[in-house]
Amino acid sequence: MKTLAALAAAALLLGAAPPPGASPPGFPQAVAGSAGAVRVLTESDAGAQLTGLELFVGAGLNRQTAATGGVAALAAECVLRTPVDGVPLRDAIVAGGGSLQYRVEVRSTQFYLEGLAEDAPALTRLLGRALAAPDFSPAAVAAARAQLGARAEDNENNALATGIEMFRRAYYQGAAGLPTFGTRASLANVAAADVAAFFKENYRRGAVSLSAVGQIVPQLAGAEADLVATLPEGAPAPLTPKVAAIPAEPPRIVARRDVGAPVVVVGFAAADPGSQDFGAMLVLEALLSTAFARPTTTSLGLRDRSFGASYSYDAEPANLIFYVNGNRTDPSLAIRALALVAGSLAKRPLAPALLDHYKSIAIGNFLSENVTLSDRAFVLGTFGAAGFGSDPINAALAALRKATPADVQRAAKRYLQHYIVALVLPRQASAGS
Amino acid sequence: MSRVSAAVLAALLAAAPSPVPAAQGELPDLGPAVSVGRLPAGGISIVGPLGGSPVAAIELWYRAPATGFGAKPLASLSRLSAQAVAASKPLVGPALGALVASLGGRLSIDAFPDSIEISALVPASDASKVVRSMTTAFFAPVLTDDGFKAAQSDVAQEAVLEAFDPETLLRDAVFGALFSTGPQHYPPLGDPKALGAVSEDDVRAFATRAFRSQNAVLVVSGTVDARIVASAAAGRPADDAAREPETHAAHQLAAAPEPVQKAFDIAAGGYGWIGPPIADERDATALDFIADYLFRPDGGTVARALAESDPDAFVLGQFITLHDPGVLFVAFAGKRIDAVRAAVDRGLASVRHPLSPEAFAAARRAFEYNLLHELQTPAQLADNFGWYAVEGNPAYAPGAGGRGGAYFTAAQSLTPEFVASVAEKYLTAAPATINLKPQTKPEATK
Repeated sequence: MKTLAALAAAALLLGAAPPPGASPPGFPQAVAGSAGAVRVLTESDAGAQLTGLELFVGAGLNRQTAATGGVAALAAECVLRTPVDGVPLRDAIVAGGGSLQYRVEVRSTQFYLEGLAEDAPALTRLLGRALAAPDFSPAAVAAARAQLGARAEDNENNALATGIEMFRRAYYQGAAGLPTFGTRASLANVAAADVAAFFKENYRRGAVSLSAVGQIVPQLAGAEADLVATLPEGAPAPLTPKVAAIPAEPPRIVARRDVGAPVVVVGFAAADPGSQDFGAMLVLEALLSTAFARPTTTSLGLRDRSFGASYSYDAEPANLIFYVNGNRTDPSLAIRALALVAGSLAKRPLAPALLDHYKSIAIGNFLSENVTLSDRAFVLGTFGAAGFGSDPINAALAALRKATPADVQRAAKRYLQHYIVALVLPRQASAGS
Repeated sequence: MSRVSAAVLAALLAAAPSPVPAAQGELPDLGPAVSVGRLPAGGISIVGPLGGSPVAAIELWYRAPATGFGAKPLASLSRLSAQAVAASKPLVGPALGALVASLGGRLSIDAFPDSIEISALVPASDASKVVRSMTTAFFAPVLTDDGFKAAQSDVAQEAVLEAFDPETLLRDAVFGALFSTGPQHYPPLGDPKALGAVSEDDVRAFATRAFRSQNAVLVVSGTVDARIVASAAAGRPADDAAREPETHAAHQLAAAPEPVQKAFDIAAGGYGWIGPPIADERDATALDFIADYLFRPDGGTVARALAESDPDAFVLGQFITLHDPGVLFVAFAGKRIDAVRAAVDRGLASVRHPLSPEAFAAARRAFEYNLLHELQTPAQLADNFGWYAVEGNPAYAPGAGGRGGAYFTAAQSLTPEFVASVAEKYLTAAPATINLKPQTKPEATK
């Protein structure tokens, strides 16, 4: 073992801190490849022991209809329940040394597979076998429906989730604004045949992409090709996203739920990733997340915060929400303060020191929110689809680093002046309170 | 364990023998990828580089009882003290909390019954300055009135929120029932109303004794190398504190834990069994395996069965590896609480019989994957090293030596028969049993 003095001397000689002007460290460089005709982005860490693989399928909420709310989640849930060698896919993957989860978003449904690096090719093929012959029998759909019904109920009893759903429903037109897991009522209306039809129409090779992170063994490429080959060729018809124009007088939506305290969600339109306002939008998210909050020594989780902001750049189009926990803050005052700040940001550019401050926070947030293999696979695919090139996470980070005061002012002017207010009140509260 | 008087116990609490004092003894071997060193004024440093996101986790771990060193326990004392130190602005530069916030990082402080963790996750390019700031603050603590007041406010808010968390309530009640004395008997974050009893002088005295380089384990992980340790402040010299490093406090186990019943918003339950010490690596690993096999959220047999039969149910099971002894803790909740409890009981009974070779092989494969899944980020790896170091067996940390290390070797040595024998050995004793029941509202009188 070296002595500490030796270490210190070595540090001085070699330079423990990066030299002035050097680029700060980034994510491992990604490379673009293909599996069949499907784009694959890969970010390899030699030191990782696991592999994370995310399959993006263009079968998101926006592919549902008003009558089939929850069908996208039902299709994904049924895939995980599909028997492979007599065992539900999810259990087969667990027994094989991995895990499989799905996430349903506006544009896509994503399957995230993770496993020991040496097992990842075999696990990927297991997923392919389930996608080749998914079980949409009435019994399988009924079991999936029960599972999703409980998750939908959980969301309905969560004030923040409810507020966000209310904003999404008001802003996104058509099925894109429907609740992620549907509702108990909407799920009951979706028949097994509806789920099969949704899968057949949307699970197509032309609407698929892959991202892989962690330790990448050479055999993974073949397994990726086999995975996408299980899906039929072609792609569903393109969709044009539709959103409601947000009027100058902020619309207010009110709901009552079994929640402990009121929550206010203020929803804005936001810049899509890849646009010139993307970096500035991340700075605005950092500013709105911190500018109103009482300073605390330790970082607060969602439960404990009075205010917060979240930029959903994966939605199409993107949105930004600002939320207020009414238990600790007067929501009316908070909204008034928000309007003042938004107006001020649009009127004049941020002082350079303030921009540096909020940019530093935004960079820290960006890095610390994208640490797990799952998070990295997700942003790799999401930014890859947004036109950030073959090394998209580093390109997105570079866009953030480049944001100028003028960029922030332009983004504030463009996106923060009109908004929708969703107010979730406890059911017991009297109407006048 | 025989009963001892309060006075003898207090003496034992003050200084019990420790297998791995931080300031002295051999440095543990944590594998070729991990650097272990001695801090200038005592204590150890562990640096585990990890690629991926360009972030660094920087953690300080101290062995110190949550309720203080005196005979009279003070609620939240370790938590309040660490929070106050992190909030206090030094003569030069910002307070640690303010620095981490300005970098968009995350600072957290977690108090456990006999240890405390201060951790920051920051961009790797800022790791050096955060190591400097954290060690400056915590190797020679400065406490300001403003820092103390801010800590009181933050910890009170946290304590109130924790009082509504069923998992915290159950865990505290299980430990309170299993241990009749010692730090494990008391909740690390006590009753919010009791916080007022802790004075600034109490905090200053605790911080001075507990937060010293000689008592510290500094862990850094992420996109860093071993040179990062050179940024650590030296702190007070060893003789300044005039005390030995903090050690593993004595405790007394309850002879027969009494069932505990409490009123709460939802129906929930908890169990706790005394398990092996951290030094008994094979038994401890077998109990980790059992907890994983039964209760792993996405794949545990009990968790999966409940996901189908009672989708609203919640179940958690973990073996909490401690110096001596460890505890198997199980918590559950659900609308059909009796059915949920029955599923938990069936699962626990099932592991007293050896699994088939095929089922065991699959379960062990899943167990190894789950371990690695929980060691994939810098914060997870640093937590892992820190926890096992303060509990006295850092070389047994699952992150040490990768899949060739002591922990994975112990996992590989498990057999169906051995796992069943460990279940028989530890899980047939009467557990601490906790029931949370919703309060029934009295009928309104007309």
